Amino acid sequence: MEQQATVDLLYVAAFFLGGLGFAIGPFVIAKLLAARSTRNTQQKTEQLIECGMVPIGDAWIRFGIVYYLYALMFVAFAVDILFLFPVALVYKSQTLVGALYAFVEILIFVGILSLIIIYAWKKGVFKWERKIYNPR
Amino acid sequence: MSLHPEVIRLLIFLVGIIAFAALNAAYLVWLERKEAGHIQRRIGPKEVGPFGLLQPLADGIKLMTKQLIVPAGVDPILFKIAPILVMVPAIMSFVTIPYGENLVARNIDIGLLMIFAFASVNVLGLLLGAWGSRNKYAVISAARVVSQNVAYEIPMLITVVTLVMITGTMNLHEIVMQQQGGFWNWNILNLAASPLMPVAFLIFFVCMLAETNRAPFDMAEAESELIAGAFTEYPGMGFGVFFMGEYANIVIGASVATILFLGGWQCPFGLFPGVHWFLLKMYFLIFTVIWIRWTYPRTTFYSLLNLSWKILIPISFFNLILTSAMIKVF
Repeated sequence: MEQQATVDLLYVAAFFLGGLGFAIGPFVIAKLLAARSTRNTQQKTEQLIECGMVPIGDAWIRFGIVYYLYALMFVAFAVDILFLFPVALVYKSQTLVGALYAFVEILIFVGILSLIIIYAWKKGVFKWERKIYNPR
Repeated sequence: MSLHPEVIRLLIFLVGIIAFAALNAAYLVWLERKEAGHIQRRIGPKEVGPFGLLQPLADGIKLMTKQLIVPAGVDPILFKIAPILVMVPAIMSFVTIPYGENLVARNIDIGLLMIFAFASVNVLGLLLGAWGSRNKYAVISAARVVSQNVAYEIPMLITVVTLVMITGTMNLHEIVMQQQGGFWNWNILNLAASPLMPVAFLIFFVCMLAETNRAPFDMAEAESELIAGAFTEYPGMGFGVFFMGEYANIVIGASVATILFLGGWQCPFGLFPGVHWFLLKMYFLIFTVIWIRWTYPRTTFYSLLNLSWKILIPISFFNLILTSAMIKVF
């Protein structure tokens, strides 16, 4: 068992290295084959793309992401679903707890989890209206 | 010095799978262009080689000989690391995908969990690349790609949890072996476990489309609004590696859907199971993915997020409850 896990890890590590090679290889080839410089008369080769104009202002500014609330909901969900994986794995086995007991536990867990959606729905997270922030 | 047979096997599989990924990336682009052409009553690529079959080669040479530009003002580390971050997990996911009874690099016990763990790194690559580009379109795309992938990861995982409940294992080989026999034994038609199984497959498929950023959910790379979204600043090979990674992810998504729901390498009639059935099902799913892209217009971002949170997640939750009830109570 111990040895098997080691071989598993060996395979994953080898595929990691192989993937790394497969990802970096094209860049190395391109580095060797591609043109090193172009005529570049206007000194604009390295300009960021903004449909041909000289970019107006920086891109790294603060802008309103109205859907950040979804991210908050995701945090609640992602962790809980991770907890569901081990439960699901042993759910079929007969020995651990009684049948009804296990089902009711799942029901309670998922029920509480779905309250997140119901709460957000009621609070109007899913409604897309123009949100105007009034500083006053 | 002689090599251990396990090491030789590993190297053969590594080379084989990388070749498989590269070949798929090349020829899925050809398939995509050809299919798009015929759907739009055009012919598609036809000049390079018979039926345009050498087109991927020409594309590859073009990408390789393009100048590698790192635009001024970008974050150089994030900008360079992003395509690699998309590609590496995709290759790593192939470790445990069984293409045939014995055609698997390594049969890992928690293979299913591992694939989803690696698949979630994909978002990170797109986010870093888009943010590092310091381009307005790319930054908007970064915000979109994260919220989209985050939203669709949940129904996908709930569906997978439901499936794990039915199979009782996360070993992909065993999951396929449980679907032996005819197509009525496949998980998609496992109505005894849950009458909603076909719906679960549909949810999984839709989530797969969204996770791989395919139309109608390609908000990350919405050509008509965001130029090329996250890839806007990437020249030549940077763009090429992103695309190879994306196609590798589509192949993985279709493979996982085939294994979980369509019985992997099992034949629909119980005859001659083998890798050909796997490839047939997988390429049919990929064909459908491309078909959908050229049939439906892009959705708005609002309806995209709400589709997941208002429809897919409640249904998959209901399916989870129903399945657990069917297993234990009835």
